[in-house]
Amino acid sequence: MRSNKLKLESINTGSMADIAFLLLIFFLVSTTILQEKGLMLKLPPEVDDPTTIKIKDRNVFNIYVNSKNQYLIENEVRGDLSGLQSELINFILNESHSDHFAESPQDAVVSIKTDRGTDYKMFITLLDEVKESYYTIYGDRVGMSASAYRALDQSALEQRILYEKGKEGIPMNISIAEPDALAIK
Amino acid sequence: MKKFKTKNVSKSEISTASLPDIVFLLLFFFMVTATIKAKDDQLVVQPPEARAVTKVEQKSLIRELTIGYPKNAALGVEARISSDGKLLSLEEITKWVFEQKNSLPESQRDQMIVMLRADEYVKMGLIADVQHELRKADARKVLFRTVLLRGGA
Repeated sequence: MRSNKLKLESINTGSMADIAFLLLIFFLVSTTILQEKGLMLKLPPEVDDPTTIKIKDRNVFNIYVNSKNQYLIENEVRGDLSGLQSELINFILNESHSDHFAESPQDAVVSIKTDRGTDYKMFITLLDEVKESYYTIYGDRVGMSASAYRALDQSALEQRILYEKGKEGIPMNISIAEPDALAIK
Repeated sequence: MKKFKTKNVSKSEISTASLPDIVFLLLFFFMVTATIKAKDDQLVVQPPEARAVTKVEQKSLIRELTIGYPKNAALGVEARISSDGKLLSLEEITKWVFEQKNSLPESQRDQMIVMLRADEYVKMGLIADVQHELRKADARKVLFRTVLLRGGA
């Protein structure tokens, strides 16, 4: 017995173009957004005779990277950066009122010094760690994670208030020392 | 008399079945050119990874400096600086900053952001020199271009 005649039905492809357009727009937008993300830093102004301000030793957290990409953190040679964030947070907030850590969060300075031969990657990794530590502190004060804090939209008033509240009184004091000049051969 | 029915007008419709293909072609064209343009430079640049990134809201304020190693051996093996496909020397940065500032409206000139898109293996010596030049030229807002940490939060 022959089966019934199969119905020929075509799927309407009219909306296919819309879907493709949607994809196109998505790619266009997402690629441009990705371009402008990075670590922001404000360089100090250029002055002819830099006045040296004496900063107490306990207020400075020293990080040094040599040309072989080895770390010297607070005069201690390190192989990796694990635990650096919690150390930095301890140092900046100094909740235990230790003599070795910063007197107050305002006075705390994190100094990153590199060598002329250091890889840029190392510097960025360090800068990232330091910034992440500060963002963690800021986020903690308003009950958020570091990434949620960074995602706050400053153009919205409510979020801006939260943002300001988070960083109030704790400036991001990151000092980027000029690298040592290489010994001239 | 017999009524003659007029021949029924054939309803012709333009087939839109090929429209998606055209749009897809456009989509692929844009995808391909977008990646080519980002890499179509004389320098090889793989920005380092970072987590604590901030997004810049006003994209019009951004001016880009690329630092990386030349692709073409004829340009040497030392890291070079370039902007919009043009190689710059260190001394030319001041002039470059001045030109870029002039392209912004007057009220926004001091807010210009210089985006440093540098390769992860560029040496800090060159980066520091560039920063020094930028400080001299009073373009002090610097954005270190990074990519999101792979596998990181």
